[in-house]
Order: sequence, then structure tokens, then C-alpha cells
Amino acid sequence: MAGGESGKVEDHASTTSAAAAEEEERTPEEEEDTGANFAPLVKLEEVAVSTGEEAENTLFEIKAKLYRFDKSRSEWKERGVGQVKLLEHKETKKIRLLMRQQRTLKICANHGVSPSITLQEHAGSDKSWVWHAIDFADGEQKDELFAMRFGSVESAEKFKNAFEEARSTMCELLGVKAENQEQEDENEEEDKEEEEVEGGFTVVKGMEKLKVEDGKDAKDAEEAAKQQETV
Amino acid sequence: MALPGQQVPENCPSFKLIIVGDGGTGKTTFVKRHLTGEFEKRYEPTIGVEVHPLDFFTNRGQIRFYCWDTAGQEKFGGLRDGYYIHGNCAIIMFDVTSRLTYKNVPTWHRDLCRVCENIPIVLCGNKVDVKNRQVKAKQVTFHRKKNLQYYEISAKSNYNFEKPFLYLARKLTGDPNLHFVESPALAPPEVTIDIEQQNKYEAEIAAAAAQPLPDDEDELLDS
Repeated sequence: MAGGESGKVEDHASTTSAAAAEEEERTPEEEEDTGANFAPLVKLEEVAVSTGEEAENTLFEIKAKLYRFDKSRSEWKERGVGQVKLLEHKETKKIRLLMRQQRTLKICANHGVSPSITLQEHAGSDKSWVWHAIDFADGEQKDELFAMRFGSVESAEKFKNAFEEARSTMCELLGVKAENQEQEDENEEEDKEEEEVEGGFTVVKGMEKLKVEDGKDAKDAEEAAKQQETV
Repeated sequence: MALPGQQVPENCPSFKLIIVGDGGTGKTTFVKRHLTGEFEKRYEPTIGVEVHPLDFFTNRGQIRFYCWDTAGQEKFGGLRDGYYIHGNCAIIMFDVTSRLTYKNVPTWHRDLCRVCENIPIVLCGNKVDVKNRQVKAKQVTFHRKKNLQYYEISAKSNYNFEKPFLYLARKLTGDPNLHFVESPALAPPEVTIDIEQQNKYEAEIAAAAAQPLPDDEDELLDS
């Protein structure tokens, strides 16, 4: 009963029934186990599942398709299809974006909703957003350009709204002034020394000192991209 | 994804998985799909063999397949038998849009079994997304005679793409109910971008946003 079992895995992975529908779309006869019996090579104990999301609340969740930009080839490459979530830490209140590949539940994207991230339109798709992130999906920091495509313009809009809201929260949390709040508290902020940045947020004095932690420069990123290609 | 740079935790069981089948049936594309998520349309024949570690998280812990992605084209075949030695499990791939690739399955199976006796094998009919298929599901019977598991897959649409690995993992662990679970999503480290970098990224985003996305079909993204 291979089909039934993998269906179970899906349940908590997606609140939408899209994944399940895809699974049921073709329920062919090939599902039956026609393989022989083999003596197992290993005996493994059942382990407690640690998602790493236990201390977080899900603010928003939707199905999407993620692409990463291959700089060396100057083209978009698919990264995965699955649920993308905005997760808020229960204590620190920090929010991250996490996306898992459906069915294998591996991580496609994992990065903080950083104040520096702005979602940009994609020229050829009104259902997609493009952004830059220092991503941690592979357990190491990588410079990535992501594009995320949604099932409809409405879904893309919903995601953007949720993301912008999360970003405002993060701006407040980190003491960075979000552009859209600028006018409201203009007077209040007047005496603080600030510098306007084109990227859509304002940097409070002192922040310039902080650099990207992994210290990757363009050359490194290029090399990493090349390396990935050869893998 | 595949976490090539990440250290394998101690006691993480690993298995040698041999992937064979005619050239152009999609072995490399299938492996790449699992490694990075990408779907490579360009065909570049594999020379000899390429070995890729591929990790999965299950309710019985992390497991790793070392995927031996072998050359399907005879002229690039290289060591052949040498690649098969100590194989723990295998995938035989054919292309449902090419009868010849299915006709050659018994040869691949025979070569494989000459070196690897009694290992779990999955037969995969790839490219089932193509409308004009030449080998219909009913015509695929070889697996029944030889006790192989058969899956129709599409590396392009991801149809059944996890099934071969799930089946092999279940056989190798002896747990018919083994399933994939969420891999632990560690907290990403704090990142702060300075103005200079930010400007550089903005320019990159603008350039990338002008490049088309690989496909724009909606495969059930909205429920």
C-alpha cells in the first residue's frame, strides 16, 4: 500500500489539498508491490521527527513554485514545488521564510524576512515575485536570487501582502525603519541620523558597520555557482 | 536538497544505488531533479559514471543514497561491470516515448544481476508527461517476471518522482511503512546587508527579472 502511506506524509505538509489531488490524479495499477522480498540491509529505530519549526507559529502558508537564478548561465532554474511558509518565532518574534519540496519534504528555501528584501515584479509573469536573499536551505549561507510563482495573480498578491507585513514587523524588531512607515512618524524620527537607501528601506546609523556574516564577495558567489553546477 | 557540503551524521546509513538504462532516458535529469530541483532540458550524455550523494529524512532517521549515474550510451559506457560491484539497490530507466529503450531493459537487467545478485530494483518508465507515448502502461510486463517494482515517472512534471527512492528505502530497511519526514529547518543566521551590497543586488534582481521563467504552465499550484 505504497500510495496510502505516502498520502499520510502529505497530510501535515500541506493544508491545501492540491498535493493530495495530484497524488490521486493517477492511481495506476503499478502501485502494487511486485518486488521480491529482500533481507533488509539495516535495522533502524524509529526516531522522533524534528522539523525545526516547533518554536514557531505559521503566519501564512501557500503552495508555490520556486526558482533560483543561475548567474553563470544567466537563466532561471527550478528549485522546487511545495508549501512556502512565513514562520514567526514564539519568543524572539523573528520571522523567516521556509519552503519545503512536496513529498520529499526537503528544504528549498530558508531565510529570514530581512528588511533588505523587497519583492520585485517579474517581467514575464504577473504571478511571480523576484528577490535576493542570503539563504540557508543547504545549511550554509548562499547568495541567491529567487523567483516564486503562484497559482494565480490573487495568490501572488496574498503572498506579497503577508510578506510585506512580516517585513514591517521585522523592521520594527530590528530597529530599521520601513519605507512605508516613513511618513507617519516623520516628526518623531527627525532628530535621528539616518540615511536613505534606494533599496526601499532606511538604515539607522550604526548599522553600516554590520556586514553580511559570511563575508562572501561576488567572486566567491560566482565560484559557488560554478561549483554547484559541476555537482 | 542534497547537502553535498554537509557532513553525514555518524551512523547515517548509506547505500550504493546504481542507475542504468539506455542513453537519453533521463537518468541524469532525474538525479539532478532530486539534487537541486532543476529540470535540465539540454542533453549532455554522461561519460562513464557520476556519483552523487542524495539524502532523505525518514521516520527512521536520515539515510543516504550514493547514486551512481552511469552512461547509457554504449560508446561512453566505461567500466560497466566495475560500476555495479557492491551495489545495494538499482534503478533501471527507460523512456516510454521510445520502444527501443524498453526493449533493452532485459539486457540492462541481466548485466546488473550478473554482478549484483538479489538486490531491490525499480524499473522506471520515464517521460510519462509526453502525450504521444510509445510504450503503454499495459505493455510493461518485464517487472512481473523478474520481481522488480515498476513506477511510471516524469522527471519533468515530478510525477511519482519520490517513489523509486521511497520503495528502495523501504526494502533496504525492511519497513514497509517507512515514510519521508520534514528535514530539520535550522534557524538561518542573522544577516545584515550594507548599502553597497544592496545596490549590487538590486541591479542583479533587475537583470534576472527580465529573464523568462522556464515554464509557465500551472500544475495545480492553486487548489
